[in-house]
Amino acid sequence: MVAPARLSRRSLLAASGGAALALTAAGCGGGSGGGNGFAQASGDKVPDKYAKRTRVVVWHAYSGNPGTAITELAKRFNESQSDVYVEAQFQGTYDETAQKVTAAVQAKKIPDLVTFSEVNWHNFYLNDLLEPLDGYFGSGLKRSAYNQKLLSEGVLKDKLWWLPLARSTPIFYYNKTLFHKAGLPDRGPATWDEWRDWSKQIKGLKVKGKQVKMEAYQKVDGDWQFQGSVWQWGGAYSNGLNVAIDQDPAVAAGEWQRELIFKDKMAYMADSPSVDFQNQLIATLVTSTGGLQGMTEAAEKGKWEVGTAFVPKKEQQVVPTGGGGFGMLAYSPKDRKQAAWKFIEFCGKAENSAYWTLTTGYLPVIDAAVDEPDLKKRLADDPNFSTAVKQLDIVRKEDEVRLMVPNANILIYTGLQKIWANNTPAKQVFTDVAGQLKKATDKVRKNIEKHI
Amino acid sequence: MSAVDARAGARSADTVGAGDRPPPRRRRPRHLREYLLFLAFIVPNFFFVIVFAYWPVIYNAYLSLTSWNMLAPVKEFVGLTNYTDLLTDGDFLGTLRITVIFVLGIVLGSMVLGLAIAVLLNEKLIGRGFVRTMAFAPHILSGAAIGTIWLFIFDPNYGLLRPIFGVVGLASPNWMTSSKWALPGLIIVYLWKNMGFIATVYLAGLQNVPRDLYEAAAIDGSGPWHTFRKITFPMLSPVTFFLVITTTIGTFQAFDIIALMTGGGPGNSTTILSWFIYQQAFKAFDAGHAAAAAMLMFVVLIIITALQARFLERKVHYR
Repeated sequence: MVAPARLSRRSLLAASGGAALALTAAGCGGGSGGGNGFAQASGDKVPDKYAKRTRVVVWHAYSGNPGTAITELAKRFNESQSDVYVEAQFQGTYDETAQKVTAAVQAKKIPDLVTFSEVNWHNFYLNDLLEPLDGYFGSGLKRSAYNQKLLSEGVLKDKLWWLPLARSTPIFYYNKTLFHKAGLPDRGPATWDEWRDWSKQIKGLKVKGKQVKMEAYQKVDGDWQFQGSVWQWGGAYSNGLNVAIDQDPAVAAGEWQRELIFKDKMAYMADSPSVDFQNQLIATLVTSTGGLQGMTEAAEKGKWEVGTAFVPKKEQQVVPTGGGGFGMLAYSPKDRKQAAWKFIEFCGKAENSAYWTLTTGYLPVIDAAVDEPDLKKRLADDPNFSTAVKQLDIVRKEDEVRLMVPNANILIYTGLQKIWANNTPAKQVFTDVAGQLKKATDKVRKNIEKHI
Repeated sequence: MSAVDARAGARSADTVGAGDRPPPRRRRPRHLREYLLFLAFIVPNFFFVIVFAYWPVIYNAYLSLTSWNMLAPVKEFVGLTNYTDLLTDGDFLGTLRITVIFVLGIVLGSMVLGLAIAVLLNEKLIGRGFVRTMAFAPHILSGAAIGTIWLFIFDPNYGLLRPIFGVVGLASPNWMTSSKWALPGLIIVYLWKNMGFIATVYLAGLQNVPRDLYEAAAIDGSGPWHTFRKITFPMLSPVTFFLVITTTIGTFQAFDIIALMTGGGPGNSTTILSWFIYQQAFKAFDAGHAAAAAMLMFVVLIIITALQARFLERKVHYR
């Protein structure tokens, strides 16, 4: 009895060892499919009623209200037709989504549609991973339906690579109740100098025992708003691929903020300026239109009133656009690309674009959306909501170095943190940042020049 | 080491013993079977170690010699350029300096505090079991939870620390948005996280110190501090040795709490090596520099561990 038992235990162990090996080998080798070796990203089980349709995987970066809205759009799309099943998968922030797409390309298991930020899509374009979208327009969705200014930001080398979806601009928010208490007029300041005068009247105001300040700068990603400041001061981060952040206008804009923090003591760097604005720690804030819904709700709860206005002027009145849009991965097979376009067509219908804007606060990317009854009413009733749309007249496409050079935005906001937190002179910081940006640009210059 | 040697010895003895008994004709197949069985046991483990431990290191070493954005089909060979870039880059050298402060602060701080807690908990105090549990609790929390809790504690407007500073008439510093305070703040968080685990391991060590040593010391008239210095601490040396090495390695790999609380900033004030590597790889998509920095960290860790083994082990008493 003993001997066979020992033998069987041994062989069992040996067999299980062999099985483990085989499994690993299978795991490492698995996952191929499609002619070019790229398989589709996996996900939830497709519901039975959609099993026979072409499955399209959309990776998106939206949580909260925008997350609800894109999930709802996917649901409505799936119910509206019988050929395509769209699966919308949340992948974290824009940066995290881009990281995951990078990993997915390496693993050769990719989604079909991705929402890239205005910065991130360039890296995928420069590596020939995006599909040009011009050929897909037709009777279902006309190119002319889009806001042409926003659409043109996705065009390089005369082809369209990135389609606007969750676009926004920074707008000026102010706390009407605090303005009233300070004896200020109920409007946004026309210029930054007027704004600074007003800050003297805000000084000394307290809410719940806390000193109210004039504004706060966003620790991470604050380089987006600051780009607007640099433009308003008459400068740029870069002209084409020539770095200009170390030139006088940008330095002056940086010094202005440094003085507000360390001399006037009316501003500071914050983890989340929006939260501080909602808690009435600051009286004004320049941030994305996308935050309007949250600000309005917080103001109602806190029993105060929020106002919006155009971002003030210095030398110029101009703001950047930002936010996300659709990119289609070139390695997705033809049938899935066509199916994915059906979903884009659906999102591009005026009523759906209006629904998206109403739910999220992002700009209407389809011109006809503003004539949809619900959105039309909202724009008429709520002046705050219409500020962003009106401000579209003064938007400008972002500077090339920030858009195209990987890591440029991080190099810039890391520099800004040194001004805001360490009181380092702007000239010194921007000279360093310019050096880093030039080095980073030189590394990719050849490839960029080939692609633009 | 000794346990492994003993096992190896046992195996060879077994083999010799096995070779003695059977007649020469049967020796080979038996040997072969034993050998195959040995392989069946070892190969799966070996395979996983190679795939998940050695291969990444080797591949990383290769990547460190290339310029690659993680998307392009071709990795361009650039030799040692990535290394020379890093070692002449002021920001990277600053990162190394911050890493040293961070690691020293956390390793020394948590060892001292952990030992102090362990010594206290080794005494017969009321509610000792409860305090032991409380001390260990932070260790089992996830980094994300710890980061969120401490962001709240540190918040200069609403945080728990604010009233404490208020009592002595001071304003709470802007911990996470000030370059001066962010690094000390992070070190405090990691001390809080590590202390309990270190205390628990030390406590186990303390309870293994033979009582007769203390009795002998008491008879000789040794005071508490002298007893601690001459008996307790030396008898704990194997534990100290283990903890110093594991805490050092663990601290070099710190990431989650930094990601949540500071993102390496403000400026570069909390950018330690692990964060720098992440940022190069997944923010700048610069695999070459990230891999080169990772290789440098690998080498530094090997050197530190070797030095610790060489100098600390001399002082270790394994009873």
